[in-house]
Amino acid sequence: MMETGTMRESMRNAVTDNVFMPNETVISEIIEENSTIRTYTLRFTDRAAAFSFLPGQFVMLSVPGHGEAPISISSSPTSTDAIQLSVRRAGRLTSALHSMKAGEYVAVRGPYGVPFPVDELKGRDLLFVAGGIGLAPLRSLINYCRAKNGEYGKITLCYGSRSPSDIAFKNDLDAWQADGSVDVRLTVDVPERGWQGRTGLVTTLLDDLTINNSNSSALLCGPPVMIDAVISKLKESGMDSEQIITTLERNMKCGVGLCGHCHMEGVLICKDGPVFNVRTLENIMGATG
Amino acid sequence: MAGLATTFGSGAMTNSINEITGAEVIFVIGSNTTEAHPQIARRILEAVDSGAKLIVADPRRTEISRSAHIHLQLRPGSDIALLNAMMRVILSEGLVDDAFIEMRTENFRELRKHLLAQDIDQLAAVSGIPASQIKKAARLYAGAQKGVICYCLGITQHICGTANVESIANLAMLTGHVEQAYTGVNPLRGQNNVQGACDMGAIPGVFPGYQQVSDPLIREKFERAWGKALPSEPGLTITDMTHRGRENGIRAMFIMGENPVMSDPDASKVEETLKGLEFLAVSDIFLTETARLAHVVFPAASFAEKCGTVTNSERRVQLMHQAIPPIGECRSDSEIIMELAGCLGYSMEYENSAEIMEEIALLTPIYGGIFHDRLETCWGLQWPCPTRDHTGTPYLHKYSFARGKGRFVPAENIMPDELPDDDYPFILMTGRVYHHYHTGAMTRASDILSREVPEAVLEINSYDAEEKGLRHGDMVSLRSRRGEMEVRVKPVDTISRGMLYVSFHFHESPVNRLTNPALDPVAKCPEYKVCAVNLEKA
Amino acid sequence: MEKNILKKDHVRPFLRKLARNSRLIAPLRTSHGDLLYQEIESIDSSEIDLSEQPQESAKQFLFPQQEQLFTYQSTSNGFTFSPRKSGMPTVLFGLRSCDISAILYMDVIFLRSPRDHYYLQKRKDTIIIGIGCNEPWDNCFCNATRTGPFLEIGFDLQLTDLGDRFYVESGRAVGDEILKKWPQFFSPVTDEDEKLRYQLMLEARSGFKRHVHVETAFQKIADNSVSPSVWEHLARRCDGCGGCAYICPTCTCFTIFDRPLSPHTGERLRTWDACTHDGFTRMAGGHNPVNTATDRLKRRFMHKLYFDYKQFNRPGCVGCGRCVGICFGGVDIAMFVDMVCAEKRDQRQNATVIGDLLIEAGLITRKQLYKALEKRDRTGMPLGNILMEMGIVTKEDIANCLADKVERP
Ligand SMILES: Cc1cc2nc3c(=O)[nH]c(=O)nc-3n(C[C@H](O)[C@H](O)[C@H](O)COP(=O)(O)OP(=O)(O)OC[C@H]3O[C@@H](n4cnc5c(N)ncnc54)[C@H](O)[C@@H]3O)c2cc1C
Ligand code: SF4
Ligand code: FES
Repeated sequence: MMETGTMRESMRNAVTDNVFMPNETVISEIIEENSTIRTYTLRFTDRAAAFSFLPGQFVMLSVPGHGEAPISISSSPTSTDAIQLSVRRAGRLTSALHSMKAGEYVAVRGPYGVPFPVDELKGRDLLFVAGGIGLAPLRSLINYCRAKNGEYGKITLCYGSRSPSDIAFKNDLDAWQADGSVDVRLTVDVPERGWQGRTGLVTTLLDDLTINNSNSSALLCGPPVMIDAVISKLKESGMDSEQIITTLERNMKCGVGLCGHCHMEGVLICKDGPVFNVRTLENIMGATG
Repeated sequence: MAGLATTFGSGAMTNSINEITGAEVIFVIGSNTTEAHPQIARRILEAVDSGAKLIVADPRRTEISRSAHIHLQLRPGSDIALLNAMMRVILSEGLVDDAFIEMRTENFRELRKHLLAQDIDQLAAVSGIPASQIKKAARLYAGAQKGVICYCLGITQHICGTANVESIANLAMLTGHVEQAYTGVNPLRGQNNVQGACDMGAIPGVFPGYQQVSDPLIREKFERAWGKALPSEPGLTITDMTHRGRENGIRAMFIMGENPVMSDPDASKVEETLKGLEFLAVSDIFLTETARLAHVVFPAASFAEKCGTVTNSERRVQLMHQAIPPIGECRSDSEIIMELAGCLGYSMEYENSAEIMEEIALLTPIYGGIFHDRLETCWGLQWPCPTRDHTGTPYLHKYSFARGKGRFVPAENIMPDELPDDDYPFILMTGRVYHHYHTGAMTRASDILSREVPEAVLEINSYDAEEKGLRHGDMVSLRSRRGEMEVRVKPVDTISRGMLYVSFHFHESPVNRLTNPALDPVAKCPEYKVCAVNLEKA
Repeated sequence: MEKNILKKDHVRPFLRKLARNSRLIAPLRTSHGDLLYQEIESIDSSEIDLSEQPQESAKQFLFPQQEQLFTYQSTSNGFTFSPRKSGMPTVLFGLRSCDISAILYMDVIFLRSPRDHYYLQKRKDTIIIGIGCNEPWDNCFCNATRTGPFLEIGFDLQLTDLGDRFYVESGRAVGDEILKKWPQFFSPVTDEDEKLRYQLMLEARSGFKRHVHVETAFQKIADNSVSPSVWEHLARRCDGCGGCAYICPTCTCFTIFDRPLSPHTGERLRTWDACTHDGFTRMAGGHNPVNTATDRLKRRFMHKLYFDYKQFNRPGCVGCGRCVGICFGGVDIAMFVDMVCAEKRDQRQNATVIGDLLIEAGLITRKQLYKALEKRDRTGMPLGNILMEMGIVTKEDIANCLADKVERP
């Protein structure tokens, strides 16, 4: 425990920044990604409040009267004048957001959390595996890598959706395929009439790939069952668990390591995560059986 | 509680809560004890820890049933079949307590005749439990020196509620499991003061202390104290008022601390009755669904803003102190009543609740020795407590039953008023959850409690759910002959196929629009627990 | 640091000076006999009662049960957020060692980075005057958590009751300042006083009625040798009411929500929350990563006794014993520690014996066992069948394991 004498000194000198105060933003654009996901472009009304961030970080989004929710930043930090959040309608706050129009106001605070290790990933082939709304934080990283022309290896995306009409981020998928920057592979759980692509879990897409394990990293985001399945598949195929990077989702109230909601086996997901490599996760979970 | 009155002569827990810890065998029937009565559940678990055996009869795999040595997963509404079967086993295996029956009871011949005419396998089939299990349970219960039965609304909220309770009493008397410490029959009350409300005469035919209005001597005593002529006929029951108010000539109502629009069966009928009144006054701490219909609403003080006593399940009268002065215009219930009475031309003047308690002691023999100053210095007194020097009564019926001899009242299994059929193939049971209380008027105002359980969920057996193509979280519309509502489903393994379970706390899922107002002929308690329904994806 | 004597007769005049521009919090007895830390309105008409441990800790004065963070107002051109000004100079008088240790714990949680503004505002102008415990109470075990009965650090002033006088020691600069500012109340310590105090401390240390072996429990958890039946036993008795967390001086978890006050205005509040609540970790759509009472209790006790231990080299429990008194299911931390320490292999239930044998034989993991036990509780199926159904072991595995056991001496 820290000796409180020094604590007291540092308290005296502290600049008392209040982390709970959100900053107002205006919704400047809304993109309908599918029937439940929309991407909101937010501009800070007070320019001084704008922040820099890295892919994988998230903000606490406020719709005053409806509370706050953690939402990943889905835009790339390379486009700086605004941030984008892609939000799935899931409950109270997200429904309230979905009923709002461009020109209305919301508020955010952040950015929070450990980002993807963008420097360590340099020069490596990147395999992105996402399910549903899980593409949101990966979208940020994919666009970041694309913008850093040539700094990263080959980019492959395996993306699973419930059904063809649920496939979100179509604009992005098209653009990535169009310029050849990303090898996009899709699959759906439930096919619909006219669907000629793959059907089945996203793990089946991995069977088609030949991965150069020595120079590849995998980045995952999606529902827990998907993540578990993909991790075991990749490990089976010989990928080192340190090169498998995933994000964890927990109920979060403060986003900054104070409220305790995201505590998991001694770590706080909001502060020590949400991005983890699987080696670290195994150590964390292994500690207690 | 009519069932215990006919058999034992008094309708209350025969034991103290702490005595449960010392029982050898505990038989829990129709009670989701862990969720509804955690304090009692703790005693039960403590008893189990120290070696007691636990039998639980419940159609659902409740939390308490996880700790049971025998779980009798009976069909809803077949309690009498189960109890009769147990008694039949006890009789044929010679496990009856002859001395007790001889000394303390009457009408045993009738019961014996009735039981001998029954067939165990047939009864087992009706209850849906293997005969071997029933035998095991019967032997266990009868073989114990100290056997306790706990039951709750799962027993009473049926058309045969009274007969259910009578059968429980039969079982206890047959084995001599009454009249002692650590041994008895214990109805668990749902609120901190249901027992107190009954004790104070809030049932149609009695004055405080279960003194009959039909008894001229008793009436005279109360008339002398209150200076008014009093009726000799019992009043109306709740459903007589809320469902048949107009037929019964009711033009105005004063409702205190109840929310019948939500809590009574066939709730649309209640709403219709209340809307048809010439005058409705409601006193409550929140603006409930019922209060919204009122012409006049009295803001009542909460428990923390007033002083008075409550009487819990174990007949313990406890004093609650006022912690803060009433907020805003709130007044305590007694002040509201006194002022209202004054306006109606009858003056009621009591300085404080201690003075009211003095009058209770004066007129109510079982409360005769209970005064505020005594309650100040102890954890309450258990009635009967007839005099100031009496220390209260931990368990009832010592040396003899309140009615003299305990009376066996044989009962035939009565199937629920409404059974599943092709149109309504599911049995719907209703109940409560730990985090909410009744119609949620109070608990839903708490942010944490509403987060814990934000809405009603309909529990359905996972196989049934799969057959119906339902997944966790799907909305379904649930229909009975009386009404309809929408609710989210949750497939579970804890109830049998063909059964559904839902809580009644949420006005968005007003389950009492669906429930059956068919009444128990004696206790007038509606058959909340079972009705036939159908469901489809909404 | 400074040591002095303060006569009991002079406590009131001393507090009058000290509290001139601060709110003064001290243990007071309510008219119903409860002893609570309360704000003292008038020094003359209040009788400060230092005779026993107050029923609640002092947590609420630095971290209130419910606290407004800010108000919001929405207009056609945006929001205004007005943060709440909080905090005024406070003197916490008569705090028990456990309650002071708990404040040190809160300091770590709320003031590492980032700092909690609202806590800091209240904490930075708080003076702590503690009192050592000459007599531990029935449920106390601060000797085991190393947070009492007397403290070495953490207080500004610490009192020891020597009968008609207090032995006063200062723990920090602020304490020294106080002693210097009003020297008229204090006299030097004599050898007699020192001896008496030492004697009292010794007696206090040997006066504990409960022996809660917190460090043994930590070791057992670290060695992964707590049997699932312990968690299960406790989980069955836990109703998830949250009482233990609300009463606990070191439980600092909170939740945040908005409360509209009118169509365009409202406040954002935080309130205490409890990790034994199901909704604490439940996410939109109903998925809950900490889904059963067993998981939740594990999380609670592991946090206090294992993760905090690992991080701070001492437990997150300060041994105040309050959860022992509050839990009507008997699911308190002392009970847990007792169970863990008392546990011997042969006392375990049959089912978990099989589970443990399979773990020993390396056929299943503890995690798989928990999963299976959970399912057993839900369905009532025998554990072996569940493990077979899960495809983890075969009938032969189980048979071999049991056979091994029988052969063993
Ligand atoms: C690090 C992180 C990043 C996320 N990024 C995105 C994203 O980019 N896009 C997106 O659509 N969703 C994202 N989520 C999930 C999103 O936070 C939840 O869907 C959202 O909180 C639901 O809030 P609600 O009020 O609409 O739902 P309700 O069910 O009404 O929520 C109730 C409360 O529980 C909490 N809560 C519920 N679910 C979650 C959850 N999954 N995670 C954290 N808290 C929860 C919320 O704080 C909320 O106040 C992310 C979650 C985390 C932890
Ligand atoms: S866990 Fe219990 S004993 Fe430990 S500090 Fe908290 S309330 Fe006190
Ligand atoms: S969200 Fe509050 S601690 Fe992580």
